[in-house]
Amino acid sequence: MPGQRSRLKIFPALALAIFLLPILAGLLFTWAPAFGYLSAAGSTHFSLEPFATLLRHPSLPGALRSTLISGVGASLLSLALALWIAATLYGTRLWSVIELSLAPLLSLPHAAFAIGFTFLIAPSGWLIRAVSPYPSGFTYPPDWITAGDPWAVSLTLTMLFKETPFLLLMIFSGLSRLDVRRTIMIGRSLGYRRLRIWTRLIIPQLYPMLRLPLLAVLAYSLSVVDLAYIIGPSLPPTLAVLIDRWFNAPEISSRLVGAAGSLLLLFVTLACIVSALALEYLISKVGSRKILDGRRQSPFEVLVPTGSLYALVLLAVNLFSLLALILWSVAHSWRFPHFFPTRFSLTNWSTPLRQLLEPLSVSALAALLSCLLAIILVVGCFENEQNLARTRIASISQRSLWIIYLPLLIPQISFLFGIQVVLVIFHLDGTWPALVWVHLVFVLPYVFLTLANAYRSYDQRYSYVGMTLCGGPLRTLFRIKLIMLAKPILFSMAVGFGVSIAQYLPTLYVGAGRFATITTETVSIASGSDRRVMAVYALTQLLLALTGFLTAIVLPAAMFRKRKAMQN
Amino acid sequence: MSLVLDSIEICLHEAPLFKPLSLTVPAGTIVTIMGPSGCGKSTLLASICGMLDPGFSLSGTVSLNGRCLNGIDMEHRRVGILFQDDLLFPHLDVFGNMAFGLPARMSLGQKRERVDRSLAAAGLEGFGGRDIATLSGGQKARVSLLRALLAEPEAILLDEPFSKLDDNLRGSVKEFVFEQIGRLNIPALLVTHDRSDSADGAYIELN
Repeated sequence: MPGQRSRLKIFPALALAIFLLPILAGLLFTWAPAFGYLSAAGSTHFSLEPFATLLRHPSLPGALRSTLISGVGASLLSLALALWIAATLYGTRLWSVIELSLAPLLSLPHAAFAIGFTFLIAPSGWLIRAVSPYPSGFTYPPDWITAGDPWAVSLTLTMLFKETPFLLLMIFSGLSRLDVRRTIMIGRSLGYRRLRIWTRLIIPQLYPMLRLPLLAVLAYSLSVVDLAYIIGPSLPPTLAVLIDRWFNAPEISSRLVGAAGSLLLLFVTLACIVSALALEYLISKVGSRKILDGRRQSPFEVLVPTGSLYALVLLAVNLFSLLALILWSVAHSWRFPHFFPTRFSLTNWSTPLRQLLEPLSVSALAALLSCLLAIILVVGCFENEQNLARTRIASISQRSLWIIYLPLLIPQISFLFGIQVVLVIFHLDGTWPALVWVHLVFVLPYVFLTLANAYRSYDQRYSYVGMTLCGGPLRTLFRIKLIMLAKPILFSMAVGFGVSIAQYLPTLYVGAGRFATITTETVSIASGSDRRVMAVYALTQLLLALTGFLTAIVLPAAMFRKRKAMQN
Repeated sequence: MSLVLDSIEICLHEAPLFKPLSLTVPAGTIVTIMGPSGCGKSTLLASICGMLDPGFSLSGTVSLNGRCLNGIDMEHRRVGILFQDDLLFPHLDVFGNMAFGLPARMSLGQKRERVDRSLAAAGLEGFGGRDIATLSGGQKARVSLLRALLAEPEAILLDEPFSKLDDNLRGSVKEFVFEQIGRLNIPALLVTHDRSDSADGAYIELN
């Protein structure tokens, strides 16, 4: 199939162009203002003044502190929690419950979850209401800062509860490629207890598959803007929020400081990624010495039951955040310290629904288009990879495709301003192609990431059999392979759909104010004080993302309802 | 030393997989259990080593050297297991795989000496540092068995260990496995659907 092979080469080339061009241009056109060059602002000489202004800024030390606490803290805790849950619960009934819960957990958009979580932990939130007026004695909300605290603890917890399900999804996907059940049997037959088997046999095989997702979580957590606006500290905010404020400040010279800040954030992120890799190297060095010491039981074995507790807390926090959103969206009157609203009403939904029609349609269309383009490119890349594998150069193709993860490893705000500058130059800002393209940059890696294991695990012999029966490779691809892989393909599209729905900064920077999506509206509403409206917007955002996941579950179930072998 | 199964019955959702089974496997003997796919051979082995999937229920008694194994965690049963796939740990080399089952009281030097001796006896001298991906099917099967035996189990279960080997390898690997088990003088239970894989000892048809 030499003709088809050469045609397939276009997919990785296209995929790489989609990332590399905007990211490189974006970085370049952000770095130039960082060094004082921004012709639109009348600054045509390079200087270090933006950095000097940045370093003198009184908010910088506090912003850096919050960024590091929330970014590094949330990433490490999410990894630890996800691995602990896997190691302690694998094979139990609760593990199956977690597997079933992942799709709904992941469909809950970050902004919607943050708003729901705020309703839980705020001084007037559900947690305090649960103990008020008895036994706490509060008849008014206490004067505490539980959401938006200056140490970014609430932001860290929000990201912990949101990123753990994502890492669990990656763990499920990774474990499906390992023979975990029989590895555990071998380990136990050699006398090892559960934690030792996981730390010495399973995690060393699993971790390489988690490395990139973890680094993506780290980069995201360090540079998140929408969540930080909703539940992060405000005086000073995190570095990413500070940069966003500079970029959007009325005086154009602030953008130079913003550009310098985005370069600093990029440096901080890269430093954290390098530190994470160094830590991994160190742990693997120490671990490889310990692995053969023959000790069968870990001293932490007594803590294994806590895995159930952590998993239940994770599920409960998500469930109660969602319930809080639902109740607030239909609450007419819900004064402190009542545990439930005293009066219900659907009028909260009537006015915003009319205002939500446009953001909803823009979100859905951008998500659908970026998702479809992403799946075409990703399937093309995998097909090319498998063709190369047949010609024994698979390693080269896999090496080059790691670049697909690049947009997840670079802070969005570090190159979005530059993209905006380039789009303005070419009069493309605020256009549909630009919006779909920038969403595609972030959707494609997730689609790739979630589909990779299933696509690579596909038994190619089905296609060989197909080719002998029904003809050409393209026909076999559509008639056999894509149908057999329909479930993971639809799931990865649902993830991509959800990622597109959740895009905040890319829509703002590329949309030039001409596109209002459900997420941009939700985040701007979140700074208001009416919880009922916030809840309606957050739930609408959730329902849209949920549509994708429901389709991914219902469609294959309906398609294969009479095919038992396709139902696993 | 013997492995005794007394009135073993395994049910899936209350439906028995086979008639109640009783047998005694003396030390140094390999008893073969035969039966078609799906008759519960592997499930029987899982019940003996204590890894029965939820959904299955076990009645009857399993005892090893007079010790009742029912209710004892798998890691404390001292029962080795060998599958049709070698299941060598890919992140460890040959030495790492084999030394993994050795007790904590041994120093690294002692472990190395023990593994080297074992490898030499198996015709794999100098293979300790080899990546397992570079081994042939027969070499992997031998390393897998040696790993199980180095942990000094009191009985060993063989779950169709030769079924994935080609005809050329099958005879030699089988001979090696049976010889090692005989040398260690422990009871062994072999399940297979292929009569040619069976050992010289007794065999039982599961139905």
